[in-house]
Amino acid sequence: MSREECKILSARFGRPDGHRLKVYEAEGGYQALRQVLGERQPDEVIEAVKESGLRGRGGAGFPTGVKWGFVPKDADQVYFFVNADESEPGTFKDRYLMDYDPHQMIEGTIISSYAVRANLAFIYIRGEFGWLIDRVQKAVDEAYAAGYLGKDILGRGYDLDMIVHKGAGAYICGEETGLINSVTGTKGQPSIKPPFPAVSGFLGKPTIVNNVETVAAVPWIMIHGAEAYRAHGTEKSAGTKLWSVSGPVKNQGVFEVPLGIPFADFYRDHLGGMRDGEEFKACIVGGSSVPVLTADEMMGCNLDYESLQEAGTMLGSGGMIMIPKSADMVELIKVLMHFYWDESCGQCTPCREGTGWLHRLIGKLLKGEGVPDDLDLLDKVCEGMGGLTICPLADAAVMPMQSFLQRFRAEFEARIHETATPGSPSRWARGE
Amino acid sequence: MAKLTIDGKEIEVPDGTRLFDACREARGGRDLPHFCYHPDLSIAGVCRLCQVEIEGMPKLTIACNTIVRDGMVVHTTSKRVNQAVTQVLEMHLINHPVDCPICDQAGECGLQDQYMDYGLYESEVEKTDKVLKKKAKVIGPHVILDQERCVLCARCTRFCEEVTGTGELGIYNRGDRAEIDVAPGVELDNNYSLNTVDICPVGALTSRDFRFQKRVWLLKSTSSVCNGCATGCNVRVDHEGGRIYRLKPRRNDEVNGPWMCDKGRMTYKDVHREDRLDRVLVRREGELQPISWAEGRQELLGAVKPGGVGYVLADPGRSLEELVLIQRLATELVGEEPMAGGVSDDGHDEGDDLLLSADRRPNRKALAWLDFAEKPAEALAGELSGASGVLLVFGGDPLAHQALADAASRMRVVYLGTHRTATAEAADVVVPLSMWAEKDALWVNKQGRIQRGQRAVLPPGDAREDWRVLVDLLQSIGHDPEVAGLPALRRLVAARLELEDENLLNRLPEGGYAPPRLADAPTGGR
Repeated sequence: MSREECKILSARFGRPDGHRLKVYEAEGGYQALRQVLGERQPDEVIEAVKESGLRGRGGAGFPTGVKWGFVPKDADQVYFFVNADESEPGTFKDRYLMDYDPHQMIEGTIISSYAVRANLAFIYIRGEFGWLIDRVQKAVDEAYAAGYLGKDILGRGYDLDMIVHKGAGAYICGEETGLINSVTGTKGQPSIKPPFPAVSGFLGKPTIVNNVETVAAVPWIMIHGAEAYRAHGTEKSAGTKLWSVSGPVKNQGVFEVPLGIPFADFYRDHLGGMRDGEEFKACIVGGSSVPVLTADEMMGCNLDYESLQEAGTMLGSGGMIMIPKSADMVELIKVLMHFYWDESCGQCTPCREGTGWLHRLIGKLLKGEGVPDDLDLLDKVCEGMGGLTICPLADAAVMPMQSFLQRFRAEFEARIHETATPGSPSRWARGE
Repeated sequence: MAKLTIDGKEIEVPDGTRLFDACREARGGRDLPHFCYHPDLSIAGVCRLCQVEIEGMPKLTIACNTIVRDGMVVHTTSKRVNQAVTQVLEMHLINHPVDCPICDQAGECGLQDQYMDYGLYESEVEKTDKVLKKKAKVIGPHVILDQERCVLCARCTRFCEEVTGTGELGIYNRGDRAEIDVAPGVELDNNYSLNTVDICPVGALTSRDFRFQKRVWLLKSTSSVCNGCATGCNVRVDHEGGRIYRLKPRRNDEVNGPWMCDKGRMTYKDVHREDRLDRVLVRREGELQPISWAEGRQELLGAVKPGGVGYVLADPGRSLEELVLIQRLATELVGEEPMAGGVSDDGHDEGDDLLLSADRRPNRKALAWLDFAEKPAEALAGELSGASGVLLVFGGDPLAHQALADAASRMRVVYLGTHRTATAEAADVVVPLSMWAEKDALWVNKQGRIQRGQRAVLPPGDAREDWRVLVDLLQSIGHDPEVAGLPALRRLVAARLELEDENLLNRLPEGGYAPPRLADAPTGGR
């Protein structure tokens, strides 16, 4: 498969003035919106998206049309949120989408909002994306001026306002209920579920939160049809996916490929292999919150939701972190454990205390103060965190931690000094 | 109704019941381990301790945020649950300072209790590894904060958001740096601040008043009713060695829920005030001199004679039984008119829309029921200037009103009271009475609910059960009410109130009783 095929989302990446309305319109932009508002009922849009097999690209991979279907039909007010709080380490695809082609996202948001009968949409952009916020705001202003937003859009009787909201810098606000709370003005931390936002979200009303990449695919699906979208990818993982690739490979950046292609092909054709002098050791394939796989494991799997799950990891956000042999896995996990410790909102005890504990334990290993029991303790702390909290942040810390330990234990053991003062025998080690 | 199986036991609960509550029922009243769940606050779901296993669900679930479903099969003590609870509890403890020896919460601490159930292991954490936070930070007039002990259950913040609506407390920072605090320049100074101490499951919020005063396991608890205002919050009097150390609210959903106000909590201090009357005093050579009870009794009986008494003045701070006896005594002594249930100007202050009533007397409703009218100070002064002989005053401080003091200056004042008030200072004979916590007595709150307070401590010195003094007086003027003890006295009260069952007041339910017959009685004295 050549590199030029299959540009659903990234067709205008790198095009001069691709972020301008006139360029977008010249390439057929907002035609999907005209068509939808002129010809289709909201439920038909939902059906088409269900039919396309589009899944949430933020990380969870939940079928988008199904999520939209959860909105109660008798709701008097529905809100639509675009999650542009892209803060998963290793992920920078939404940044490209907003930088190069903000109108594609805006058009997708209008159609999606129409589908769920929302009259107010928010685009929640992480605060660190300073210039992008201006760019998206300007695009929204252009869309208003052109009659794609506001009252009676295109004379079809549909009203939608769009607010660009700037986040204040917290990873946890990328979790949908945390995001909603942040916009509401309360502390940016996840809410307990149930109720789910599709039933009770922003201001207690049904609220749909979708990732940028998810809504960006909607105009294409409307124009070309669900069938055409399904023609890409696999049966359960339909369409294309943007991969944000970092690490010492020859070609870094964002790549759009159909779901389901072998990683080995992607590695060869798109990444061009590792840089000279570097050897491929491991990969965190879906953003830092998924289990790491060894190079061998990666070379054997395909890039789709099911294959990656079978291989013991997750597709996640598609933030592919390529790790070379020269990297020290203990140093690397310290960076991640620092991240999750720093970003835990602190609500749920296992996450609040567990992320700090993991961070301190890794710090101890790096200082040469580790004892053999500490590795078992790391594992057991993970067990006391996983699956026990309101949101998946604790799991997000546990998955890399446990997989690093499991797959690269030797590197951790090498950090334990034989001269370190042994602590009291661990309760865990005693098997109690 | 939903039928479910919890730990092998089948139970049936109403639809919409929280699984947490259903589990309590199935477990014979034993709660699941928890810190954040509180029945009167919203669900936070953050302590993660009430994890249960529900068959058919892949992950453990917190019971507090789960509504029962018909057919649910739930395990609360399976190996998986116990392991999770143990691990979560350990997370709660890793940064806890474990300063139990100097912590007031020790003995009634959720962490201690749950450690006994699920912990009992050695710590994996070096003391030097703990996250340190602020200790002993004064955050308001009544409350002191220790951030290190906090488990961030968010009960206190939810209380200030949802119950008082004042929002003084917040959780600042995130991760393991998260801490409860007040914003700069803000104090936790609402009138319900000490409830945060009650609901704090650990020693993070402690009462400045109670701090370091007494180990809680030494305290004895007695059920009573707050006398601070007409609401009549149900309280628990915690005392030891004849001294009250604190008041805690006792749940009564008809009256105060689980809360009470700070002003009410501090009323116990009046019981131990320096100026409590503990001896009979008589005025000799212009000075009040203490005399023995035997001598004092003769003084009292000698002064209280038909024909000798010109006016009788009661106070809505007296118990229901006392008011019934005082009214009877007054009728025998002075007939119909020269008497009043109290000074209607007294005992009013600012109230709020939560619990604190503007009516600061615990028993005004009883006066209304007895048709024992209060009168304004001015009117009373007019009546007193026409009276002569003895002015018999039961409680309150009517002579604090200058007009009344002037009008009474020609009378011989006999005062039965609890403190060295202006009235006591102006009196010729002063007899000590008991306060609410020192007697078994009935109080009628503003809703018309009769509630019983029990005796927690003994009255000081020569003060004794007030109703016995009144019965003694009635006997001495030849009108023996023939009550030998409290049960007979309460039958007398029931008869006076024309209650349907003469023993009703001897069998008052825990939450009190509001007689339907008296439901429409006027609210205050006339």
